[in-house]
Amino acid sequence: MPEKITFTVNGTSRTVEIEGSEKLIYILREKLNLTGTKRGCDDASCGACVVVVDDEAVKSCTFPAKKLAGKEVLTIEGMANGTNLHPIQRALIDAGAVQCGYCTPGIVMELFALFHRKRDATDDEIKEVLSRHLCRCTGYEAIYDGALLARKYLSEAVDR
Amino acid sequence: MGFKYIGKDIPRPDAVAKVTGRVLFLDDIKLPGLLRAAILRPDYAHAKIISIDTSRAEKCEGVIKVVTGKGCKLVYGDNIRDLTPIAVDKVNYIGQPVAAVIAETLPQARRAVKKIKVEYEPLPVYIDARAALAGDAVLIHENSGEFWHLPGIAPIAGTNIANRYILKKGDIEKGFEEADVVVEGEFNYPFGSCSALEPHGAIVWFHDDNTIEAWSSSICPFIIREELARVYGLPVCDVRVHIPELGGCFGYKSDITVEQTIAYIAGQVPGRPVKWVATRKEDFLSTLIGHGMRTQIKIGARRDGKLTTLKTRILHSTGTSADTGVHVLIAATHNSTGSYEFPNCYLEGNSIYTNTPPVGAFRGYGHQESQLAVERMMDILARKLDMDPFELREKNYLGPGKVTSLGETLHKTNGDMKECADIVRGIVFSKPKEISEDEKYYYGRGFAALMKTPKGATFSSKSCYLKFNIDGSVSINMGGAEVGQGLRNVVRQVAAEALQIAPERIRVYTEIDTQFSPWEWQTIGSMFTTQGGRAIVRAADKAIRMLKETASQVLRVGIDLLDYDGDYVFLKSDPAARVPVPELGRGYTFDDGRTIGEVVHTTADARLPRQSNPDENGQGTMGITYTFGAQACELRIEKETGKIIIDHFVSAFDVGQVINPVQIRGQVVGGVMMGIGASLHEELKFTEEGKAVNPSFRKYRFPTIKDAPGKQTVEFVETPGEIGPFGARGIGEHPVVGVAPAILNAIYDAIGVDFYEIPVTKEKIKEALDRGKE
Repeated sequence: MPEKITFTVNGTSRTVEIEGSEKLIYILREKLNLTGTKRGCDDASCGACVVVVDDEAVKSCTFPAKKLAGKEVLTIEGMANGTNLHPIQRALIDAGAVQCGYCTPGIVMELFALFHRKRDATDDEIKEVLSRHLCRCTGYEAIYDGALLARKYLSEAVDR
Repeated sequence: MGFKYIGKDIPRPDAVAKVTGRVLFLDDIKLPGLLRAAILRPDYAHAKIISIDTSRAEKCEGVIKVVTGKGCKLVYGDNIRDLTPIAVDKVNYIGQPVAAVIAETLPQARRAVKKIKVEYEPLPVYIDARAALAGDAVLIHENSGEFWHLPGIAPIAGTNIANRYILKKGDIEKGFEEADVVVEGEFNYPFGSCSALEPHGAIVWFHDDNTIEAWSSSICPFIIREELARVYGLPVCDVRVHIPELGGCFGYKSDITVEQTIAYIAGQVPGRPVKWVATRKEDFLSTLIGHGMRTQIKIGARRDGKLTTLKTRILHSTGTSADTGVHVLIAATHNSTGSYEFPNCYLEGNSIYTNTPPVGAFRGYGHQESQLAVERMMDILARKLDMDPFELREKNYLGPGKVTSLGETLHKTNGDMKECADIVRGIVFSKPKEISEDEKYYYGRGFAALMKTPKGATFSSKSCYLKFNIDGSVSINMGGAEVGQGLRNVVRQVAAEALQIAPERIRVYTEIDTQFSPWEWQTIGSMFTTQGGRAIVRAADKAIRMLKETASQVLRVGIDLLDYDGDYVFLKSDPAARVPVPELGRGYTFDDGRTIGEVVHTTADARLPRQSNPDENGQGTMGITYTFGAQACELRIEKETGKIIIDHFVSAFDVGQVINPVQIRGQVVGGVMMGIGASLHEELKFTEEGKAVNPSFRKYRFPTIKDAPGKQTVEFVETPGEIGPFGARGIGEHPVVGVAPAILNAIYDAIGVDFYEIPVTKEKIKEALDRGKE
């Protein structure tokens, strides 16, 4: 039987009907039309579907919709403030880290969760979280540079 | 010559839409009445279909229609028509469509498809070309002799040989007679997957007015359009194909593949659009796979290191169809010389039908497969001659006045192989190796030269539509597919330079739509910058001429006395006599309202000049724009585990002219990473029964950030070419070509073991080290 659950997405309360073993990615993409979250692998190995749930980066392709009640979900659609990009988004562009763009939303969300937890994350910590994401275009160099630049932009934003 | 906008780091125009997740990929598209399809794949890689029972599936909730291939007579292919949209009475590979369910939602379709029951009678399975060539092998296609094919391509009826291409240059026997030393070896480049992050998919909609509308994550909208029109007996103009944003390609979203399957399925429910997007497993097994190429190579050389002859025989396990693989093999064959001049060649390529998914384009398009062989052999030959491998290579590099296997004489404008090699050599090999081994590691360095040609088609063209707006800004529309490589920025920067207008005032197209987009063959062969760029320059020249023609009437002078700078058309002798460009774009309006001159919008296209079909010797004007490069690596091998750590990877290419430094570095760094994946980890494996062993990201291990080299150095030589805009050549595929031989040559340098196939996994290294200890 379908079940109704209520949770917050990008600051707005939403109520959706869920069925059986539906995953968060299905709710976001098919029921809420938030298509910025991407499906890449089906087995939680590529990271394209990462969103932030209660401040933690989670793979939405395996996160059960049933567990969503009362949670706060942040997706790529909630990152920019109008036309003002989030510093992480700006940094990835400035570092030339965007090629096809399919892995990008997941990486933005992963870095958001990391820097939210630890604004001054070390280089190794950054590399560690990025190792949960697959990118076939960039060879990772520019993504890593972008993440370092994001850390810098975020610390400058705090200093200001 | 100084450039204003070329060679500058201008941010790409699609970056904001991508970093905010706003761009629409295929799976993001929703349409009114959209239905979803799920496809049944077979239990066997080669089997007769005895029966299909769809009754239980038809009763499932939400199911609109269950589709099988029974009675399907459609065949397709743009090189050889050896493809069917769905299995008819026989399956030939493990990922083939056998039946499909169309339902209101995807979960409904997936639940129902599991209820279809199929009875099979298994047939012998051939995964490797050698097995399919055996005398007693059954035929994968009984009627291969009857397939329509392009001229110059021909299946050999009664065998599993889909095509044999032979290239003869000079006299191979004389070449071997002249040789003091002969070396030979057999190399294998196994199956791989392009594995773009975005899975392939399509939407097809048979409209009530007997037109077809399709969306695909493909780089070939016009081939899809033409093939759908042909198969369904419609005028081409009645088929409309959209290409939304593409999440990577790397080759396998080329040609026409899944679109025919989805069209066949959607054709059963006319009036409603049907969407299908591959699961990751389907993306591995039901689109195109790569490589599967075995190269036997034999080289003759004189004592002084001068090469006398080359004999190669390539066996290509091309999968169930050769339509998408036949040209990969032809490219592999005539480019098996690598960057060297061989006066005598006998090069033979065989496309062999096997029971795997069809093999098609994979970034590098045959070059990395056969140049793994020649570049490893150059090191082996140098050892045999007791000669420095750089000296051996230098004596034989292609360059001005040298003749390629195809019989084309090269010129300075084809680029400078030696300069690329010298740069890489200077960075990696200028000093003797500091250390060969220590307690933990063996250390090695390896080098490879490389050459790439585009493998286009004689009629291949790219077109540009350029439009001046009322404010002097410019809109550009083309048919080239942005897959992530940065094509849109190349268009913008080339147009900016050609028109002398700031890039901020030039808007480049986003989606491709055959209803509006100018024709392009397909965005392949690393040729967009070269051909597309030339088309832009031509369209810009026409537009500038039109602006001047109108201005000449306003200023009442001959057009030859006028000049143009992006802002004004002005009198050369008196720049104060001028007309602003915005006042000319839609014709010029005088004070009394009377208007003269044409609206400034132009079209142009560009082909590879004088491209020909092969002649009776397999030669012809088929390379045309050659690009040279060199790559090298410094690596460590962990004694305990056999693990290979790439500390430094260096690449240099003669690209003619850099358009955007950040983007071109991104292309090379990403391409090298892909080559490292192929060299050390990646192989799409099949069991003897033809079942896939590792069709998932977890098991098919493509590189993560932890596999990235410690450092990549990327350098460019800029010897302008004659065809591309401002001298530029393509670069998209080239970075993968020399990676495997550079690494394998470095492995030999480190531990003295010659590897002849990839991937060289740490287990293989460990085994070799243990063997050495015995």
